[in-house]
Amino acid sequence: MRIIVDEARCEGYGFCAEAAPHLLELDDEGELTVLAEQVPEDERANAEAAVRVCPVAALKLAP
Amino acid sequence: MREVVIVGGSIAAVTAADALRQQGHDGPITIVSDERHAPYVRPPLSKGMLKGTESVDSVFMAPLRADLDFRPKTRARGLDLGRRRVLLEGGEELPYDGLVVASGARARRLGPPEAGELVVRDLDDALRLREIFATARSVVIVGGGFLGMEIASTARGLGLDVTVVDRDPPLVRQFGAFLAGHMTRAALAAGVRLVRAPEGVRLAGTPATAVLTGEGAPLEADVIVTAAGDLPNVEWLAGSGVGDPGGLLVDERCRVAPGVVAAGDVVARVADHTGLPRRSPHWGSAIDQARAAAQALLKGDEAPEYRPSPYYWTEQWGLDIKICGRILPGCETHVVTGSMEEGSALLQWTRDGATVAAATVNHRMPVVKLRKLAAAPVPERTTG
Repeated sequence: MRIIVDEARCEGYGFCAEAAPHLLELDDEGELTVLAEQVPEDERANAEAAVRVCPVAALKLAP
Repeated sequence: MREVVIVGGSIAAVTAADALRQQGHDGPITIVSDERHAPYVRPPLSKGMLKGTESVDSVFMAPLRADLDFRPKTRARGLDLGRRRVLLEGGEELPYDGLVVASGARARRLGPPEAGELVVRDLDDALRLREIFATARSVVIVGGGFLGMEIASTARGLGLDVTVVDRDPPLVRQFGAFLAGHMTRAALAAGVRLVRAPEGVRLAGTPATAVLTGEGAPLEADVIVTAAGDLPNVEWLAGSGVGDPGGLLVDERCRVAPGVVAAGDVVARVADHTGLPRRSPHWGSAIDQARAAAQALLKGDEAPEYRPSPYYWTEQWGLDIKICGRILPGCETHVVTGSMEEGSALLQWTRDGATVAAATVNHRMPVVKLRKLAAAPVPERTTG
């Protein structure tokens, strides 16, 4: 499973980075960085939680 | 902590469940929601979803974790704090060790519930209005706040003749005179009619076909929409010992009573020098409170305190506005970069020399940065 960020939609809220801190991070400029594009099985629930809290649907999970 | 029950089915409830699992709670979690739908996001309901530029499917959240018992169409009607039980409509009782109250808010209506008043609060409201807007030619919107003006912008974009009526000038309470003035001019330039009704209004007809303002002719339209604020869903708590008409009061860790926490639009907090409880019914507040509440439920006094950091946004008249902090009465406005005339700007507000809020208008900036600017000194050249 992979995390896909739609950069045109992402507005840098950061809710997702708090939901999945091992997978996503805000850099010094506050822009979203994907730490691990491939989601390990034990991080799957956090990845899904990250997708849910995005208010602009900028995150997706792909098989 | 064994059994957790969450009352509510929106972002606060879902985030609380995710946070409980993330914090290591592995006992059963039951979510009871009175909605017939799976959890969805509300922000697009007055914007892209209402206009039709975003599909209905796009508002639904990613499916919930499989290790939750999600029960839609299930309404809580009572709480027994002593026996730790949530009472459901139909008579069932749900025992809990920990309870998260995230029962949200509902649209405030001007008339009785049976009058069929149109509002935009939940998905069914938005779907209904979207269908009506497809054939209507005119709309009167009662309420010139965030929601009312977003609906007005959407309706105008669909080509409807739009009137907004309010006691006060639109948006001043939320945005201050400077920004509200700019947005009002944008609304007028888009062809919207703004009507002041200092004495309040009444709806005529069932369903309503006109708005009576106390002076002047009735405001008639094909559609009347009420966007007059929201009320916290606390009625089900009647007799439990907690919950006031103004909201469910929580402490600095979002706790209500032993084993009970709360998050989202239902929550009221004493947040400032006024000492008055107030709600902060915004997406970001719901998420932050839900995470704080989940930690408090599991860790008690060891949990970090909830530190509110107000953040909210609106889209209307082609203006994309994001705000951190609170624009208090008597604030001074500073245009830090850009200009409102050019259509893109960064703004800061000060009060007694201290920065209290920052906002972007059609100017992309990560929220973390904007949050810092809401407390950072204003660059000197822009003051005065």
